[in-house]
Amino acid sequence: MTRRGAAGAVAALLLVTLLLVQPWSEVPRRLRSVSRFAPRELAVRRLGGSGTAFDRNFFAFLENARRRLPESAEGVAIYGAPQAEPYLYLASYVLAPKPVRLAPASLPPGWIAATYGAGEPPSTHVLRRWDGGSLSAAVP
Amino acid sequence: MSGFLGELLRTGGVAAAAWIAGWAASPAVCPPERAFRFERAAWSWAIGAGMLAAIVPLSFVAGMVPGWVAFGIVAAAGALAARLAPVERVPRAGTAATDAAAADRWLWPLRAAVAAGIVLYALRALTEPMWSNDYVAIWGLKGKTVHAAGGLPRRLFEDPALGFSHPEYPLGLPFLYAGISFLTGRWDDHAMALLFPIFQVATLAALYGWLRRRRVARAPAALAIAILACFEPLYSAYMTGMAEVPLSLGLLLFGAALTDALDGEPGALRRLAAASALITATKNEGLFFAAAGSALALLLGGPRRWKAALSALPTALCVQALHLAWRGRLPLRDFALASFSMARLGEALGAALRLPGPAGWGVLVLIAVLLLLGRPAAEADRMLGLCACGLAAYLTLPAFAVRGPEWLVATALPRTAAGLAPLLAAAIAARYRASPAGSAAVDPADA
Repeated sequence: MTRRGAAGAVAALLLVTLLLVQPWSEVPRRLRSVSRFAPRELAVRRLGGSGTAFDRNFFAFLENARRRLPESAEGVAIYGAPQAEPYLYLASYVLAPKPVRLAPASLPPGWIAATYGAGEPPSTHVLRRWDGGSLSAAVP
Repeated sequence: MSGFLGELLRTGGVAAAAWIAGWAASPAVCPPERAFRFERAAWSWAIGAGMLAAIVPLSFVAGMVPGWVAFGIVAAAGALAARLAPVERVPRAGTAATDAAAADRWLWPLRAAVAAGIVLYALRALTEPMWSNDYVAIWGLKGKTVHAAGGLPRRLFEDPALGFSHPEYPLGLPFLYAGISFLTGRWDDHAMALLFPIFQVATLAALYGWLRRRRVARAPAALAIAILACFEPLYSAYMTGMAEVPLSLGLLLFGAALTDALDGEPGALRRLAAASALITATKNEGLFFAAAGSALALLLGGPRRWKAALSALPTALCVQALHLAWRGRLPLRDFALASFSMARLGEALGAALRLPGPAGWGVLVLIAVLLLLGRPAAEADRMLGLCACGLAAYLTLPAFAVRGPEWLVATALPRTAAGLAPLLAAAIAARYRASPAGSAAVDPADA
């Protein structure tokens, strides 16, 4: 076998290996997921996706908070969520461009508290409440 | 399908407009030769994507809302520049198109493998809205903030609570996301994933075009792009939304332009300058690659080494200077010079060796065998040199990681090293080019 022939055989083996190690088993699931979620609104597609799998209820809470957030809110303080990076990242992304903090000791002026579950922070009054969370503002 | 399909068509329309604008501007960097048509297609996307990103800061500076007017002005400027200062055609010595007919019978299976790689990646990328950690915390967060705020809030760089979003990273990709959203009129992080299969196709076109122009026969060139198209560590669902896929195209264009510049190919210095700007605007290591390319040109280049070396750096430094002017000097968040020690370097290398697993090591061994079976060639050595610089940096950096070498190796090395795949594919395949004096000489125009 010539040097080029040997190289061709090795390259073909590499290509076959790469084809074999493709995550083929995912393909039917992905096709099902696309056909199931494609007609739905964007937030529902994200809700059913990988990025919210760590806590889908939290994403539903964030989306509900975003839709009810007063335009004038200067930032959002999240209470009741675990102090973990995925929660902070997802909250910051969903609520952008509003600044987000996880459970600050006190609510900065102009900010809204979004409470995941029950138990709003003290010295706030509830602005909106829904199944799974609420928005509240500092008592004037 | 109307929800997602409609948005996909809208994003596809913007991408098509960007590609057309890039095509109109591409004569400024690519000669009007048939041999360049694949690379011109790739450059058209790179330039078009650059325009989509550029309209965002330019509009903010001009006090405009980024939109079709700004895009039209930038596209017209690009087309005008191409018309006023096109790259001249240089007559090439005619060579016979004697690709071995026996090898051509493999072309159809190889084309099928390329198509499979593209379709599989498109499916992975478009299954759901972009979701990976770095997309949500860094690239997507900044793009969405810029789009929703209609500006570049200072807090992106100054708020310590946003440290996790890496304020020190370049803004090219966030601006690209924001630019597309300004043109489509909405933020849709699912439809926007379409950009990534487009980057993949552009990378494959650039690789195939460059290899054919460099006298690599059809079958090995097709084999190279088939292998790259199916390289899942780069074209994965996880990587969609992050900077590695766009950077990998930029690095390939940069490496090809560097090699062309050292060989005096027409328009190469312009391509080198443009690619240098693109990679620096995409990731921090873009500046490192621009500097490494410049040093390699001086080290490995011939009579044109100074021209090549000097063309590789200024645009990268300009992009860096613009970032400094806009956001100030920001430290690298994950690294500290004082953390380095030989023990930590050893720890990083040990962690890197444990990373691939049996299947990964099998693939790496096959790649090494392919590299060794090829013949040394100047253009391959330059690409390989650039690739080696990148790999050395990616292996050394964990020794400076504040959260420990093992952490950075595990979280970053697989994806950053995967971004070198197109460059490595070019370096290896170029070692199988037909000998200029041999019977297998091919006419690049016959690609």
